[in-house]
Amino acid sequence: MKKLLTLAVAAFAFAAVSTGADAEMNNVRIGTEGAYPPFNSIDENGNLVGFDIDIANALCEAAGFDCEFVVQDWDGIIDGLNTNKYDAIIASMSITDKRKEVVDFTAKYYNTPAKFIAVKGGSFDFADGTGLDGVKVGVQGATIHEDFVRKVWPYAEVVTYATQDEANADLASGRVDLVMADSVALDFGFLQTDAGACCEFAGPDYNDPVIHGEGAGIAVRKNEPELLDALNAALKQILSDGTYKAINDKYFPYNVYGEDLPAM
Amino acid sequence: MGDLGEFCRLYGNVPVDQFRGYGWVFCSGVLITLLVGVACIPVVIVLGLLGAWAKLSHNRLARSVGMTYTTIVRGVPELVLILLTYYGITLVLQNVLSAIAGRQVIVDINPFLAGVMTLGLIYGAFATEVFRGAYLAVDRGQIEAAKAYGMNKETAFLRVIMPQMLRFALPGLGNVWMVLIKATSLMSVIQLEELMRMSDIAARAVRMPFTFYFAASILYLTITIISIWALHRGESWANRGVRRA
Repeated sequence: MKKLLTLAVAAFAFAAVSTGADAEMNNVRIGTEGAYPPFNSIDENGNLVGFDIDIANALCEAAGFDCEFVVQDWDGIIDGLNTNKYDAIIASMSITDKRKEVVDFTAKYYNTPAKFIAVKGGSFDFADGTGLDGVKVGVQGATIHEDFVRKVWPYAEVVTYATQDEANADLASGRVDLVMADSVALDFGFLQTDAGACCEFAGPDYNDPVIHGEGAGIAVRKNEPELLDALNAALKQILSDGTYKAINDKYFPYNVYGEDLPAM
Repeated sequence: MGDLGEFCRLYGNVPVDQFRGYGWVFCSGVLITLLVGVACIPVVIVLGLLGAWAKLSHNRLARSVGMTYTTIVRGVPELVLILLTYYGITLVLQNVLSAIAGRQVIVDINPFLAGVMTLGLIYGAFATEVFRGAYLAVDRGQIEAAKAYGMNKETAFLRVIMPQMLRFALPGLGNVWMVLIKATSLMSVIQLEELMRMSDIAARAVRMPFTFYFAASILYLTITIISIWALHRGESWANRGVRRA
């Protein structure tokens, strides 16, 4: 029994209790996953790198925050925020109604477009409604991309696959003419790999908020309007002063913010 | 990644080309996995002995406490208990303390300690059954003989029952240890960067899941093989003085 008591005492000794430290707005801890390249990952030297990390650093500088990163597995990343292990999540988290029930989101900080890929050198008529007549378009079944293709190009012949990899493989072997998916997923998951050497992006960027969603935002605890406002203001600032564009161009050859990216 | 990552990049890197510069993740992962595992052992043994004592006790209250402990803990998945201890208890403490103090109170439980306590609690329940079985396996005549020699309860337990219990308990405890080591891979949900999580980080950074998960499985297997060997030695030691049939 004595040992048990000692252990219990030790447990409390390790559980640091602090009050009101949150009022100190200058120190902000940012939670991120560290395993989602090219947005956030850990490099060979153990450093956090990626688009999310650069955006986080730019936001902290714009807001005058002293930021520190906390790496947390995706499972439990919202629990960690709500139990004060960190103050904000910048980890490519999509803004969804379900998540809005437990955390607050800033405005989106990116919303990668959906794009087509095709075998190099192909050309297509992408006109809404009448275009892609009889063209075979591969998509992953039951995804927003299938919905989108069916809605915009009713004459296209949609071929659905269980996984994105299967759709990509059939594009490479010529069974379908086009494949549509999220641009970053296509780029990093296929085009930049050896298997993707055959193919390239085709056509414009597509971003329909109703189908593709609002994009990724920064999550903060509910009822902390000061931090939320400060982050939103900082986001506006880096969007308008060109910082955002510089970070975008460092990682992606296309605009990941969306068509509403403020002109410089 | 902290100091451990720094240490491993300097001294624990596996400079194999296939790992694309991420050879150090195994060193820091294995160290955390082993640290959590080893730190759990005393908790598991103490809770296991207490649990076995409670379940074998003549006291009805102690018996029902022991019963409740082993039933609940063995019945709820490890992951749920881990999340419940780390996040659930933190949240409850925070809300209760904040209500008392009238302003926001932040409770920060150390993830290593939370992990060790939770895994210790879980596998203590399994060890309870191991110790209970081992106690029941000790020949009653031995306890009677100890009494006949005039030993009091404590002396009889330490000199007669305990050494014989150990013989019966070791194989079962070895089993608990091996399951425990593998369960440490659940600790990543509470910010502990153990072997599985480190392999995941590297695998996803360079998109080579097979390489890193395969290497991780070899390492888990190595830990298990070394454990089997050590347990075998331990069993021979505990069985010294017992003639083989």
